[in-house]
Amino acid sequence: MNMLKVPLQIFRYKPDQPPRYDTFTVEVPDTAHVIDAIDAAWAVHDQSLTFRRACHHSSCGSCAFRINGVEKLPCVTRVTDVWDGLTPLRLEPLRNFPIVSDLVVDVSDFFQRMSAADMTITCEAEAFLPFTVDSFAVAELEPKVVELPENFSRFNRFEQCIECGICMSACPTMAADERFLGPAGLAAIYQARNKTDDPKKVAHLLGLADGEHGVWRCHSAFECTEACPQAVDPAGKIMALRRELIARRFSKLFGK
Amino acid sequence: MIVVGAGSTGSATAHDLALRGVRVTVIERGEVAFGTTGRNHCLLHSGGRYCVTDQESAIECIEENMILRKIMPDLLELNDGLFVAITEADLAFKERFLEGCAASHIPARDISLQHALAMEPFLNPKVLAAVQVPDGVFEPFRFCLAFLATARANGAVVRTYSEVTDLLCSGKNVTGVKIKDHRTGRNETLHADLIVNAAGPWAGEIAAKAGVSVPEIPTAGVMVALDCRLNNMVLNRLNKPSDGDIVVPQRATSVIGTTSWAVEDPDLITIPPEHVDRMISQGEQLMPAVKKVPMRAKMAVARPLIAKGGTDARDVSRTFECFDHERDGMNGFVTIAGGKTTTARAMAEKVADIVCRKLDIATACRTRDTLLVSYRLFFQQPDPRNGSSMTRGRDRSFQGSATNEHA
Repeated sequence: MNMLKVPLQIFRYKPDQPPRYDTFTVEVPDTAHVIDAIDAAWAVHDQSLTFRRACHHSSCGSCAFRINGVEKLPCVTRVTDVWDGLTPLRLEPLRNFPIVSDLVVDVSDFFQRMSAADMTITCEAEAFLPFTVDSFAVAELEPKVVELPENFSRFNRFEQCIECGICMSACPTMAADERFLGPAGLAAIYQARNKTDDPKKVAHLLGLADGEHGVWRCHSAFECTEACPQAVDPAGKIMALRRELIARRFSKLFGK
Repeated sequence: MIVVGAGSTGSATAHDLALRGVRVTVIERGEVAFGTTGRNHCLLHSGGRYCVTDQESAIECIEENMILRKIMPDLLELNDGLFVAITEADLAFKERFLEGCAASHIPARDISLQHALAMEPFLNPKVLAAVQVPDGVFEPFRFCLAFLATARANGAVVRTYSEVTDLLCSGKNVTGVKIKDHRTGRNETLHADLIVNAAGPWAGEIAAKAGVSVPEIPTAGVMVALDCRLNNMVLNRLNKPSDGDIVVPQRATSVIGTTSWAVEDPDLITIPPEHVDRMISQGEQLMPAVKKVPMRAKMAVARPLIAKGGTDARDVSRTFECFDHERDGMNGFVTIAGGKTTTARAMAEKVADIVCRKLDIATACRTRDTLLVSYRLFFQQPDPRNGSSMTRGRDRSFQGSATNEHA
């Protein structure tokens, strides 16, 4: 294990004070993730530095920020994958959110959108096994899938979306329409819609998607799908909602 | 009242007290679940893990497991768990395990190997026995948010990014806390009738500010998260708890854990590379495919275990304890220590009972049957500190602003 001396250039902001960047040099193992580096900056240099962290394995979604301008989860981003070995690593809060303090952003509006979709965070297991979010070649594992007994109830698991806000930060439309439901909000509507057959609920959800701040606002830039650390593919879900809305309009027109 | 710490214990304690009508303020130096709770193994214990070695903990676990299913039904992955025998020694442990489960009232089913392999295609095909128990999985951050959102709905105040810098002591009484709000840089003083210290492995540090001590050993453990979810159910080694004997699946990952070693400073833990290697090699015994999957993350955090004579970190009981510091000569100050996230609600009930008795509050605990509100409400509830001074982070360039250098 070799140690690295990594300069971090961290965005600092406290209410009523002008924002600035502080540079801290931290010593971390070469296997460290960016969250370990910011932990070190906080523990060793400055405990007034505020940031979020909890699970350290891309499950809680709390720690997201921008690393050299790109939205990432620092808990699963290795220092050596983003640092050139020379230039300070620039750490900044997510875009399109009000800043609370340093790297902490105000997620209240975002969670309100997620609440509007009313998507529960558990779902029936879509695929059996294995289950991945990366391009990792699962086929090599050759699982021996055996028929399950008939009386077997299905597995359940947490939704892929960890509500990290990365897609909202990467989305160009968010900057044009503050009230845009956003990639995560619309993907949640899609998921919630697929969990229900109740016509009232479906009408409500599709109504949200079809509204002024819904799917038609999206510029189809696909930045969200590119940035999503959990392979939720929000842009794909937005397109799917558009297709359903169009199909419903047609069937209304032709009285089907 | 003031609760120090917004991990699982502090969050559940705030909820319990708020539900009894107590005015409560939670002080947390970081974000919710910033410390031990955030980095836990996400295991909703059935108690199986402790049913032979620590039956008191096992009984606590199964009772709380059943209560949490009722009060946070949407926040759990409920796929049960398997205790599997890989070696003859594991197999020899089965009888004691089944007896332990029965004695602890844990529903356990000795299932056929064919059934086990059908449910878990990556399970080691050399498996010799499999026992199914009601283990589950939670998500620690949202676990705490749900308790705190409910507490806030009942009037609690939650102050994150506020660090306790000192305790206010007047003679033999603890009367409040001095805090530094890291969002504003301001120092403040808060008064309270009573302070509950729920700071986990940092509880000793807080207690020292009142000149008292807590017999706690901050004990770190390493966990390794894989880039792929290999198991549906929690997989445990059918034996006494040891290193790397459990793989907890969650969302799109499987997390192998843990090791166990005592640490001096819970804020400065370096992950020993050999511990990571051990997790992989032990995990492989449960599921050989583990070695083919890239590592997604690795983490370590200190658990707040209570010292009870023995020196081996594995022999320390996983149960919890309340320390009323009146017996150390300091009134108005209680520490709740030890335990685990699965038993957070029970810990809260116990400490709330004690502090309510001290303050002559007769209301009984209601957390066993109270459904928690959505975790999403936590961030939607107004924080009294949020004024109009926040700025929108969009499209701003701070390129020209001042830069400070720190060596």
